[in-house]
Amino acid sequence: MIQKILTLLCLGGLLSLFPLSLEAGVLEENNCSTCHSLSSEDTEKKISGPDLYYAGNKFQPEWLRQFLKVPAVVRPSGFITDPGFLKGSPENLVPHPSFPDEKANAIADKLMELKIYEQTPVVRNALSKGQRAKIKYQFERTYGCISCHQSLNLAGKVRGGISGPSLVNAGNRLQADWIASWLQKPETYLSKSRMPRYKMDSVTQNLFVQFLMTLKKENMK
Amino acid sequence: MIRYSKNFLAGITVVLVGLGGCGQNHEEQATANLKPPIQQEIEEIRPQVSQIVRAPVTEKTRKTYQWYCAQCHGIEGKGDGINAKLLTVPPRNHTKASYLETRTDEQLYEAIKFGGLSVGRAPCMPAWENTLDEETIHSLVQYIRELCQCEAL
Repeated sequence: MIQKILTLLCLGGLLSLFPLSLEAGVLEENNCSTCHSLSSEDTEKKISGPDLYYAGNKFQPEWLRQFLKVPAVVRPSGFITDPGFLKGSPENLVPHPSFPDEKANAIADKLMELKIYEQTPVVRNALSKGQRAKIKYQFERTYGCISCHQSLNLAGKVRGGISGPSLVNAGNRLQADWIASWLQKPETYLSKSRMPRYKMDSVTQNLFVQFLMTLKKENMK
Repeated sequence: MIRYSKNFLAGITVVLVGLGGCGQNHEEQATANLKPPIQQEIEEIRPQVSQIVRAPVTEKTRKTYQWYCAQCHGIEGKGDGINAKLLTVPPRNHTKASYLETRTDEQLYEAIKFGGLSVGRAPCMPAWENTLDEETIHSLVQYIRELCQCEAL
């Protein structure tokens, strides 16, 4: 009897270990952790890529899959801690590796499991034309976001600075709730970003999130 | 002839109205046709004039400048940061004494704290009031004085 229980315990232990080793597998196998932090406890400073331990909160899964197949440049000047960042010649701007379909999907699925909060997505109303015009004005003029971030102008042309990540495709890349969370408390994600902090009231912030979600590369002309 | 001039003027107006923000292509950078801020805009952004403190320039001041300001103003403050060529109004060259001596320390302080619009300048310069503490802003003003090797006239 005792033997039986022991065998079952052992089996249970093995089974519970197995998925864990698989988990580490797909991301480790592909060396993601060389450039990205995959755990909040990873204190080693990564200078070539953004942290991914909250990838499941930040990205839209479809964008992530597509990115891993055909990587797009999100940060034209490299990552903010890159030694060459301010010189306009980042040292670590190697092209992101691209993966065949099946592997890309497996990595994306695994990354989407990395979360630091669970939240039911907030329902946000679409912007009216007037609201969109107002927020676009604030994006460019009141807050000066466009000095560092690329976005699309009314003619669908790419405009803006390149020190911040491009927002041209923000509406396909990011989750609305993550943008809201970033605007509220950027230090949750990055101990020190190069972006000014803004104290927006919740109404303006919501409108901003909605505005950023309308920026999509298919609107580029 | 009169009709032609009218159309021409209308065309110019449309172009002027269209240029509201900061992000432009390099080729279009020469057009400094940004709308100047209206008085109401200035008052909303700049609630009160503060007392200027001559805070010493420390290692923290220089690091702060490199971390935030240099993105647009450049590593040496020459107005040639990585965003510079992409802005409608070029970032200020902080080594240019002939311009900076026409600005008071209060104006520099307010430009950093409340943004370019607050002092009647370009909106490309954001407000740093929620990012930098008072002392850092004051010391950045002094750092700009160090870069330009100049004082307000």
